[in-house]
Amino acid sequence: MAHGRTRKVLALALTLLLTVSMFTITGCKSDGGTSTDGTSGKTETIKIGVHTSLTGGLADYGFAASEGLKIGATDFSGFEVDGVTYNIELVIKDDKGEPAEAPIVAQQLIDEGVVAVIGGLTSGATNAALPIYQAAGIPVLSGSATAPDLTEVGFDNFFRTCLRDDLQGAAIGAWAIELGGKKVVVADDRGDYAVALGNEVQGTLEAAGVQVLREECAEGDVDFSAQVNNIKAFGPDVIIFTGYHREAGLLFKQCIEAGVDAQFMGGDGIKSNEIGDEAGGAANVEGALCTFGGFAQEAMPGYAAFLEKYEAATGKDGGPYAENNYDALGAVVQAIVDAQSFEGADIIAALHDVEYQGVQGTLTFDANGDVSVPGGGGIELIPRFEYTGGQWTYIAD
Amino acid sequence: MKTFFSKIADTLRRAPRWIYIALALALALIFPMLESWGLMETLWLRVGTRALVYVLLAVGLNLVLGETGLLHLGYVAFWAIGAYTTAILSSPRTARLLYMVQEHGIGKALTTVTQRTMQIPEELIGFHIGFGWVLLIAVLIAMLFGFILGIPTLRLRGDYLAIVTLAFGEITRITFNNWEPVTNGPGGIPGIMPPNIFGWVVDKPGEFFYLLLIVVVIVVWLLNNLKNSRIGRAWNALREDEIAAHHAGVHSTRVKMLAVVLSAGIAGLAGAIFGYYQQFINPQYFPFMQSTIIVCMVVLGGMGSIPGAIVGAVALDTLPEVIRQTFTKWLPDAFGPDFLPGVQAAVQTDFDRYRMLIFGFVVVLMVVFRPEGLLPNKLWRRETHEVDPREQEQTRQHLFDLEEGHPDLEA
Repeated sequence: MAHGRTRKVLALALTLLLTVSMFTITGCKSDGGTSTDGTSGKTETIKIGVHTSLTGGLADYGFAASEGLKIGATDFSGFEVDGVTYNIELVIKDDKGEPAEAPIVAQQLIDEGVVAVIGGLTSGATNAALPIYQAAGIPVLSGSATAPDLTEVGFDNFFRTCLRDDLQGAAIGAWAIELGGKKVVVADDRGDYAVALGNEVQGTLEAAGVQVLREECAEGDVDFSAQVNNIKAFGPDVIIFTGYHREAGLLFKQCIEAGVDAQFMGGDGIKSNEIGDEAGGAANVEGALCTFGGFAQEAMPGYAAFLEKYEAATGKDGGPYAENNYDALGAVVQAIVDAQSFEGADIIAALHDVEYQGVQGTLTFDANGDVSVPGGGGIELIPRFEYTGGQWTYIAD
Repeated sequence: MKTFFSKIADTLRRAPRWIYIALALALALIFPMLESWGLMETLWLRVGTRALVYVLLAVGLNLVLGETGLLHLGYVAFWAIGAYTTAILSSPRTARLLYMVQEHGIGKALTTVTQRTMQIPEELIGFHIGFGWVLLIAVLIAMLFGFILGIPTLRLRGDYLAIVTLAFGEITRITFNNWEPVTNGPGGIPGIMPPNIFGWVVDKPGEFFYLLLIVVVIVVWLLNNLKNSRIGRAWNALREDEIAAHHAGVHSTRVKMLAVVLSAGIAGLAGAIFGYYQQFINPQYFPFMQSTIIVCMVVLGGMGSIPGAIVGAVALDTLPEVIRQTFTKWLPDAFGPDFLPGVQAAVQTDFDRYRMLIFGFVVVLMVVFRPEGLLPNKLWRRETHEVDPREQEQTRQHLFDLEEGHPDLEA
């Protein structure tokens, strides 16, 4: 039974390996950042956690976020607290964009002894991780979680450097009313982002007495003739699609073919120049309008310089939300310097008062932790774009 | 050498079962204490607690897949039903729904999307249903849906259950995704309140671990008794040969229905506790992939074996985390940052991203080297491997005893 013996040896080896790894598990309780003796002229390292999604459906967003943060770690290292110079060590962890994985990642970062966390990439994962960060008293700053309820459930440790869905929704609704919309179609793709945005747009319009027809164009579908029939019978003056550019292009094209004459609008999901091809020619989208759920890159004081660094580091064009994440790191470092402390509670208190000069402009946080500009700011922060000559162009005020 | 190893193997095999059970229980009882003594990171406690949820799910699915031999591909649906029951009955959503029912009647409450900013009266804030009721309701709803699914499919022979459950899994997720008035749609339900069991407020991972451990022990004890009962024998008979079982007097539809309904109830129970543990639920928790993973846990653990399902669930759920820690922490700590000579340092720090790749590779290895599972049921092992002659002799003796009317019918 030579075969049997090999198997037994293998089994024994595996058992040994497992036993050894058990000991390693129990033997490596972390002791936090490396701080030896904090006296004069020393350089030390603090850990900042990055809770993001490097695998899964939104891996490209996670890549851009972590690259933006790596640039930030280089730029912001060397700040001083109590006369000691500190460098930043990023601890990057992946949650696959799955809420079930998010608490595990959160616990891992806490065990590593990070002083603050930049992340949750997606709103779902952030929602699942926040109770754990809250219990540990660790400040969390997200550069891309835009769901409104995150800052409304009552987590005092959460801040974000991106604008909320409802702000963009209100801005789209207000713009449609400005354009004289009396009958408006609001369509989404049944995804979490588009539905939330669509609900906000619908709420804004209905509050102003505008008649709204809600339609659903599910992501991945090609034929929207049923929806187009409803739209034609409704006779709208504005059609708003809150999902992504692929379905938007198809919907706009099929509306034009059916003879619907209306102003096309959308959220930042349709802000891709590919929409021209997807609508069967740029002429079909000419004059379409869209908003963007953040500060306009064109209006950001530091964007050109940041983009240069990003391209040099990655060899790629600017990625989504990279600058928001960079600013989140910058804001938390500034808060640490302001507070002269690494205690979570002190950093959280300092973040409420911080006025940070970032890539996106001068940023402050309101009482809920939402990003703002000095003196506050509402829907006028949302930038507007028009599709002309085959590309989206920024409409400067 | 050979005799030495086979002696150890023999001793291990002959050791009575209660020793293994006692060992496993002792390990599980000590596990959370390791964290409070500072010997283990809290991370592992969280990983272990989530693994216990999967243990419940794997043990429940084993009833259908392993014992009765029915392919069930939508098991995640019952888990989701349990979790959403908790989320709807024990979160700020509860008060909001109750207010809608009071103001506009139940029909309107279930069909109207309410504004996020809607104000509800002060006295309703914090209203929720107690832990025991939530568990009971979750189990009953899950069982009801298991029953409804079973009616059209279990009378038929073949893989109809697989097709119908596959569809049911997706329908459930999409329903939760689109039924905004009640489930808040894709945004999910945050703020689930911690359970209060006669004054014991369960809100730390260690406490959840013990709560789940109690539930797992009760469920496993019940299932083990059931497995060795007349019904359990009927399930196995159906799995081996439906026609023969039918002619031996097994009412196949009823017996199969019992397995499907019971397993749905167990998933509902697991889901309800999982909802409390996560404090947040949205449809992203329950993709089709999760059903597949639970099937993998049962198959890799050993179909039809309860210890197998437990080991399979623990192994598959903790493996990605073990791999991540191995490559991002233990190996670099032990051998320095250049532990893989020739591989760029950048790749090593990015090991987070490669862990799922390694995970897949390990799973493939397991299937190749142990097709019958980690802790297989005896029957399945015989189907996939050469049989040890001594064991064959034991079985023959056992059958002989049965024929002779030996009083000890259990083995």
